[in-house]
Amino acid sequence: MPKDRLLFAKEGRARFISHLDLMRTFQRAFVRADIPIKHTEGFNPHPFISIALPLSLGFSSRCEILEFGLLPGVDRAQVPARLNAALPEGLRVLECYAGERGIKDLLWLDYELELDCSRDLAELKDAWNQALSRKSWPVEKPSKKAKSGAVIIDIPTLVKEYTFTETAAGKPALRIVLAAQNPGLNPSVLVKALTDEFPRCSPDHVSYRRLEVLDRDGKTFR
Amino acid sequence: MTKELERILPLVQKPARYTGGEYRAVVKDKSQVSFRVAFCFPDTYEIGMSNLGMRILYGVMNRIPEVWCERVFAPWGDMEEQLRQNAIPLYGLESGDPIGGFDLIAFSVGYELSYTNILNMLDLAGVPVRRSDRNETHPLVLAGGTCCYDPEPLSDFIDVFSLGEGEEVTVETIRLLQRAKAEHWPRARLLEALAQVPGLYVPSLVDVTYNDDGTIRALAPKHGVKLPVLKRIVSDLNTSYFPTQTIVPSTEIVHDRVMLEVFRGCIRGCRFCQAGYAYRPVRAKDPKLLVEQGIAACKDSGYQEMTLSSLSTSDYRPLVELCDGLLDYCAPRNIGLSLPSLRADNFSMGLMRRLQAVRKSGLTFAPEAGTQRLRDAINKNVTEEDLKQSCRAAFSGGWSSVKLYFMLGLPTETDQDVLGIADLARKVLAWGREYGADQRRGIHVTVSTACFVPKPHTAFQWESQVDMAEYMRRVTLLRENMRDRNITYNWHDPDTSFLEAVLSRGDRRLGAVLYEAWRNGAKFDAWSEYFDLQRWLDAFAACGLDPHFYANRERGEEEVFPWEVTSVGVSRRFFAQERRLAYQAVITPDCRKRCSGCGANQFCEGGKCDA
Repeated sequence: MPKDRLLFAKEGRARFISHLDLMRTFQRAFVRADIPIKHTEGFNPHPFISIALPLSLGFSSRCEILEFGLLPGVDRAQVPARLNAALPEGLRVLECYAGERGIKDLLWLDYELELDCSRDLAELKDAWNQALSRKSWPVEKPSKKAKSGAVIIDIPTLVKEYTFTETAAGKPALRIVLAAQNPGLNPSVLVKALTDEFPRCSPDHVSYRRLEVLDRDGKTFR
Repeated sequence: MTKELERILPLVQKPARYTGGEYRAVVKDKSQVSFRVAFCFPDTYEIGMSNLGMRILYGVMNRIPEVWCERVFAPWGDMEEQLRQNAIPLYGLESGDPIGGFDLIAFSVGYELSYTNILNMLDLAGVPVRRSDRNETHPLVLAGGTCCYDPEPLSDFIDVFSLGEGEEVTVETIRLLQRAKAEHWPRARLLEALAQVPGLYVPSLVDVTYNDDGTIRALAPKHGVKLPVLKRIVSDLNTSYFPTQTIVPSTEIVHDRVMLEVFRGCIRGCRFCQAGYAYRPVRAKDPKLLVEQGIAACKDSGYQEMTLSSLSTSDYRPLVELCDGLLDYCAPRNIGLSLPSLRADNFSMGLMRRLQAVRKSGLTFAPEAGTQRLRDAINKNVTEEDLKQSCRAAFSGGWSSVKLYFMLGLPTETDQDVLGIADLARKVLAWGREYGADQRRGIHVTVSTACFVPKPHTAFQWESQVDMAEYMRRVTLLRENMRDRNITYNWHDPDTSFLEAVLSRGDRRLGAVLYEAWRNGAKFDAWSEYFDLQRWLDAFAACGLDPHFYANRERGEEEVFPWEVTSVGVSRRFFAQERRLAYQAVITPDCRKRCSGCGANQFCEGGKCDA
């Protein structure tokens, strides 16, 4: 198993690159940067690249993790600069390092939801606070795996903590730590549940941003 | 990216088509540029980004420091709806700025069924669709590409057409436009000046009169304009611009690979083929330069696939040298090399083995017609023996399925010729069983037919297209006589071929029909999701025109054609002679065997063509 990892940001125009296209984009960027990487065995070898916890289309992030295998000849320290020269606008490698913990230890995701709201924000906060402080709140979530096409999730078990805050640019935001996997809670599913429940105080638009990946104890995962 | 755009993008399919920001997309400092170009392709991003011409001219224009050329593609229906609902005008992908404020809007037009998208894109840009409603406060609207060899159906919407290859004339045009902008020329003065540039056709400076039977009486140029306007070519491809540094889309496109253009032109002279005549004369590139450029393009893009492009790649003399040179680089890096446009006649075992060294792709031959008589009539100089040799090489080399392309409705075609397609398909199947490398694997043959569309500037420009009922009768005849479970038969929808035939040889009266069809919702006519023949028939009726006049009428020997405002450099006399030979089923040898005096040598220094 390859042990090398990239920590990268996906922002701006690159937010709309889909997961599959993103893998292709990185494969080509490695070639452009002349960084040889491990390939799968077999008749038609292809580069081994895996991106943990695919980001929804349109979300931005400063903490994406890509796993790959560096072949001898290139120093890890050179990788970010060389790749960044070969990546499209909006994709930026922050770090290249040897991964030690398994991706299965990545349990929480720290999100910032920028709330564009033309209505009374205080009312929205009250309503959302009320929902998020419930002991149990079962919600139906679409699922490709389930036969019925949907599964029931209990939202409070998937929310670690949250707070209403402001973005760096001073826009109202919800900062929230959500379960990453098995099962995970996509913040857009949460917002939909909140909007369905309180249609009169729903935001006009929400911009989603991943800020950090966390382990079981809420510490930064790398 | 604006907030409005950010909000609508999550609501549409494949939003990466509308963001720009790809690797090697050219972003310039607005304060440092003085001339803005919207380079528009009237189809989706995936199709337009696969077009080599777009990539070449994008590079040519952006090489000029003070010019910023941006790409614009036709938004799919869901995106169009969002743009209109939110009053977001069509924008350039690089800057996100509305193109209605640009200096030049240039369309690359390669397919008749994309015409309505041109109208729709102008409308989405907030630019009046008809040129008569525009003035110097609007961008100049230009069109180039192979469809412009009959520019007349688009002449209500386009200010100036650029004929032939754009590498040089595009720069000349921009230079003139920059001067006009600096000196505040009125539009009329600009158009007259543009008409003096070789290769540019300005439709407002030509009057067309008609006879009582609807045919053209005369094409009357004004203000010293000379007709026909002769296309432009690049005389030396070795020194002309080729994009080795080109945009790598962040989302999958149709031809997602390095495209290496090997030569322009074709020595063959197939009588139905507009490209074969329109790209004359043949100009090849140096194989060493091609190897260098191919390797540079692979390195710069990171693509793992390369394709050699030309009209007939097996006619490139140093093809083996080129393939070997490229494979030395590609094979160890697992880069696939593909060669479309190989002819059935000289497809060699050796070449095939070289290609197979990396990856095996599908195999397609285009005999075009089922009998030798008809192949001779259309001058497709491929014999059954050639095909047998090629198939033998292919099957014994490990291929187990072959695709065969044909046209139905070619001039002089009889039912014998149609049934000949079934015979040929069965023979290919039998050769596969005889020569197949692995006898346990089944052999499969796919036969595809399309309805022949007579094109301007070809030997068949006088011909009538068979009507749709007759085409479908021939399809049925073939289908009923080719019922083998190892043969698959696909036929092309006749409705789109009919509209293609109407538009490809139309006159400027069709402008009203295009406008009416577009007003009634026509767009993306090349896509079955959108195409509706009835909408077009209604538009013809509303304009008092008969589409069959254009598609299903044999033209008189001396009739004035609307496309005679342009010339590809091949004489009408030559086309007429080729047509006579077609009716006698007499072949014309290819340009290497003997010069047939088509006229295209006027482009070559000393009158000698490098066939």
